[in-house]
Amino acid sequence: MENLQLKRRLRNYLPKLPMDLLKIAMMLVFVFPFYWMVITSFKPYIESIQTPPTLWPVTFTFENYETIFSSSVNVWQYAQNTVVVTLSVIVLQLAIMIPAAYGFAKRNFPLKGLLFGVVLVAFMIPGQITYITTYLMFSKARLINSLWPQILPFGANAFGIFMLRQAFKQLPDEIVESARLDGAGELKIMFQIMLPMCKSSIITIAMFSFVDTWNSYFWPLVMTNSEQYRPLTMYVEKIRDVEQGLDWSLIMSANCLLVLPVLIVFIFASKKIIQAFAYNGMK
Amino acid sequence: MAKIEFRNVTKSFDKTTIIENMNLTIEDGSFTVLVGPSGCGKTTLLRMIAGIGPATSGQVLMDGKDITDLEPGKRDVAMVFQNYAIYPTMTVRGNIEFGLKNRGVPKEERTRRILDVARSVGMVEYLDRKPSTLSGGQRQRIALARAMVKQPKVFLMDEPLSNLDAKLRVSMRTELIEMHRQLKTTFVYVTHDQVEAMSMADRIVLMDKGRIQQQASPETLYRDPENVFAAQFVGTPPMNILLMRNGKRLGFRPESVQLASEPSEDPFCRAGEIVTREMLGSETLYKLRMGTDTIMIKSGDDSYRMGDKLFALVPASKLFFFNEDGQRIRPGSGADMNALIRTVRGENLD
Amino acid sequence: MIKLTPSHAPRLGNGRLNWKEMASSYAMVLPAIAFLCVFTLYPMIDLFHMSFYRGNANNPFKSFEGLDNYKWILFTQPDFLVSLKNTAYYTLAVVVLLISLALIFAVWMQKDRRINRIAQSVFFTPHLVATLSCAFIWQWLYNSESYGLLNSVLDIFGLGPVRFLDSSATAMNCVVAMNVWKGIGYYALIILSALKSIPNEIYEAARLDNSSTLKTFFRITLPMLSPQLFFLLITITIGSFKVFDSIRIMTNGGPGTSTQVVTMFIYNYAFVRNNTLGVASAAGVLLMIILMLITLVYFRALERKVHYQ
Repeated sequence: MENLQLKRRLRNYLPKLPMDLLKIAMMLVFVFPFYWMVITSFKPYIESIQTPPTLWPVTFTFENYETIFSSSVNVWQYAQNTVVVTLSVIVLQLAIMIPAAYGFAKRNFPLKGLLFGVVLVAFMIPGQITYITTYLMFSKARLINSLWPQILPFGANAFGIFMLRQAFKQLPDEIVESARLDGAGELKIMFQIMLPMCKSSIITIAMFSFVDTWNSYFWPLVMTNSEQYRPLTMYVEKIRDVEQGLDWSLIMSANCLLVLPVLIVFIFASKKIIQAFAYNGMK
Repeated sequence: MAKIEFRNVTKSFDKTTIIENMNLTIEDGSFTVLVGPSGCGKTTLLRMIAGIGPATSGQVLMDGKDITDLEPGKRDVAMVFQNYAIYPTMTVRGNIEFGLKNRGVPKEERTRRILDVARSVGMVEYLDRKPSTLSGGQRQRIALARAMVKQPKVFLMDEPLSNLDAKLRVSMRTELIEMHRQLKTTFVYVTHDQVEAMSMADRIVLMDKGRIQQQASPETLYRDPENVFAAQFVGTPPMNILLMRNGKRLGFRPESVQLASEPSEDPFCRAGEIVTREMLGSETLYKLRMGTDTIMIKSGDDSYRMGDKLFALVPASKLFFFNEDGQRIRPGSGADMNALIRTVRGENLD
Repeated sequence: MIKLTPSHAPRLGNGRLNWKEMASSYAMVLPAIAFLCVFTLYPMIDLFHMSFYRGNANNPFKSFEGLDNYKWILFTQPDFLVSLKNTAYYTLAVVVLLISLALIFAVWMQKDRRINRIAQSVFFTPHLVATLSCAFIWQWLYNSESYGLLNSVLDIFGLGPVRFLDSSATAMNCVVAMNVWKGIGYYALIILSALKSIPNEIYEAARLDNSSTLKTFFRITLPMLSPQLFFLLITITIGSFKVFDSIRIMTNGGPGTSTQVVTMFIYNYAFVRNNTLGVASAAGVLLMIILMLITLVYFRALERKVHYQ
C-alpha cells in the first residue's frame, strides 16, 4: 500500500522533473555569482589569476580581509557613514512622510490639490538630473564636508507619501470619527490608531529606503569630496582604483563586506521581504 | 437533454475525503437542487459534472456515456459560477461569444445566437459594454447568457443568486424557473439555502458530510423526511425534536402545534410557558418552555403574550419518530406505532 | 450665495472656518512640501535656468549663452547624441528582455510548490544587492583573460576567449545582461502577485468554454495583467534611461564611446570638465523632456489597451 502510493506519487512527479531540473539550473545562475564573490575573497591574489580558475580555494586565506582591516584607509569610518546615513534617511523620511500622507488622505484644507500636485511632480523628477544644482546648494551652504548632503535631499520621499496616502485612504473615516467620540486627540488618532493599521505599507516603504540608501553609489559619488564622509560603496570602488593591477580577490573581499549584511538579513527574513516587495507591485 | 449518473464516486483532496462511494442519478430534464450546509460536498459534485474537479475514483456518466476523464470544454455543459467568473477584459459580447468561437461556430450563427440570448436576458443594449461598468444583477445576466448561448445539455449553477440583494434574488428565482420551463434541459443547481431549494427544485438532493441524506421532491422532503437532519434542514423554524425516555426521538413541526388553555385527548399534550413572541404578520412565532425542553410554535393566533401558561397539543398524525441514530421510524415498517404514542402520552404526565 | 472660501475648507457646524483644524492640517503636510520644494522642484528650476549660461561650480552664471548650450550638444558636438543613442539601445534591450523574461519566470513559478517559493527568493536576491556590487562581480566573471570564469567555461567547449567588456561590439550587451539578471526576480515577483490575484473561476470558465491553454493565456491572462505590465513598462523605461552605476563600474563608457550614456555625459560635463556646467544642465533638461515625452507617448498609445478593474 505504502509502496503503491509512493509509486503513484513518483509517476505524478516524473513529468515535472525536466522543468524542475531546468529551474534548479536557473537558480544556480542566480546564486553562482555570489558564491564566486565569496570564494574569490578567500583566495590569495596568485590563485585568483590562475588558469583554469579553482572552484574552491586551494589555499584558503583571510589575508585579503587582514589587508582591508589593517590598511591605513579606515574601513570602519566608511561603514559607520553607511549605517548613519541609512538610519537617518529612514527616520527622517518616516517623520516627514507619515503626517503628510495622513494629512493628504484624511484632512481637507484649501490648496490641498495643488500641494499634492507638488508631490506628484516631484515624484517625476529624477535625482540623476537635479543633483547638479543640489550640489551647488550644499556647497554654497558649506555643508559638502558633512553627511547632510546624503541625508537631507531624501527627507521627503514622494513615492512613499503617495503609497502611504493610498493606505490611509483605504481606512474608513468612521474609525477617525469613532476615535474622536472616544475623546482621542488628533496625534493619538494618527499614531495609535491609524498608523498600526498601515504597518505593512510602512515596513515596505522603509525597506525600499533601506535598500536604496545602503546601496547608493551615484549620490555619494557626486556629493562628497573627502574620504571621511564616504559610504562603503565608495570604499569598494576605492579599493579597485588604488590597486594598479586589479586585485580581484581584494575587491571581492571589500564587496563581501558591503553585500553580506544585506544577504544575511534577506536569508532570515526572505518571506517577509518578498511579501513586502510584491505588495508594492499590487498597489 | 441529458441524464447524469454518478457510480461509486469518491473525491479526496490530499488526505481528506470529501465524498465517498456516492451513487446518484440526476434525471433528464429535471431541475435538481443539491442542497446542504457548507462543506457537504455539493459543489464538489457539481464540479465533477463540469469536469473542472475530476473524481478521484468512480465514474460519471452522461446519457450512459462515460465522461469521467473528458475535457470540460468537450462536455455539453455550461456553468454559472457564484462570482459569475465574467472575463473582465472582454466586452459583454466577447464574453458570450468566447465559447462559441472556441467551438468553431460560424460567425453568422454566432451573431444570431448572441442576439437571441441577449434579448432573452434583456441585455441587448449592453452588448458592447465592459463588464466593469455593469451592476451585479447585470453581470448575473451575462453569466446566464453565456451559459444559455451554448445550448448545453446540462446547466450547472453554483449558488448563482447568493451575491444578489434579497429583492433581486427573489425575482431571479422566478426567472430561472421560467427559463427551465422553456428550455426543458437538465438543471443542476447548488445552494445552501433551503428556501431556494424548496421553491425552485422539482427534485432535491439533500447532502451532509459527503453523504446523500435524502433525495425527493420538495413536498416529500417536507412531509416525509427520512432522518432528523432532513427534518431539521427544511422549514422555518425547523422541526422540534425532543428526546424521549427510551432514547428514541419525537419530532413535530412548529406549524403542527395547537395552543390551548385546556388539555385535550391529543397524544402530545404538555403545559408550558411562553418565553418569547415574534409577530411575523400572518403568523406569530412563540417559544414555549416546558420544563427542560423548549419548542417553537407557529400559530395564526397572535393573541397570546409572554408569560402566558398554555397547553401545546399535537395530533398523532403530525408526530414523527426517529430512532437512536436519527433515522426515521415509519408506520408500517414493523415498528409498534401505538407503543411509541403511548410513550409520548406517558411523558405528558411529568 | 457667494462662496468666500473654497468648499473643501473645514468648517464648524455653524459654517465658520475651523482654523485650528486647518492649521494642524498644514502642519502635517508642509514639512514634506518644503523638503520637496527645496531639494527637488527648486533644483529643477535652477537647472533649467543654468542651462542658458556658461559657468562652473564657483560661478554657474558666468555668461548668458541663450540656447547655445542646447545647440551645441544637439548639432555641433556628437557626444550627446551618441550617448542618447546608446541609452536608447540599452533601454530598448532591457525593457524587452526584462518584461518578457519576467513574464515567463512568473508563469513558471506560478504553482504553489516548495521549489517555486525557493526559486522566488533566489531570483529576487540580486535586486537587494547594490548595483555597484553586482557590477563588480559580473566584471570579474566577464574578465577577458584566460582566468576569467566565463572564458574558462567557454574554453572547455573549445570556444573563446571572448573580450566581453573590452570589445565595443559586446560591451553594451554584457551590461544589459547584468542588469536583466539583477532585475528579473523583482519584476517576476510583481507579475506573479498579479497572476495570483486572478480568480481561479475565470480559468475554469475558460476551460468550460473549450479554450486552449495558449488561447487562455493570450486572451485572458495577458489582458488581465495589462495594468501591471504597463506599470512595469513605464518604471523600467524610466529606470533604464537613468542607468549610471553599472556602466560607470563595468566600462566607464568605453571601450571608445560604445557604452557612453546620457547620465554619464551629464556627470562628465558637470564634474570632470571645466566651465561646462551649462552644457550638463542643458543635457539634464533634455533628459527630463525625453522622459516626459516617452511617458506621454506610452499613455497615448497604450492606455486604451490597458484593462483596469
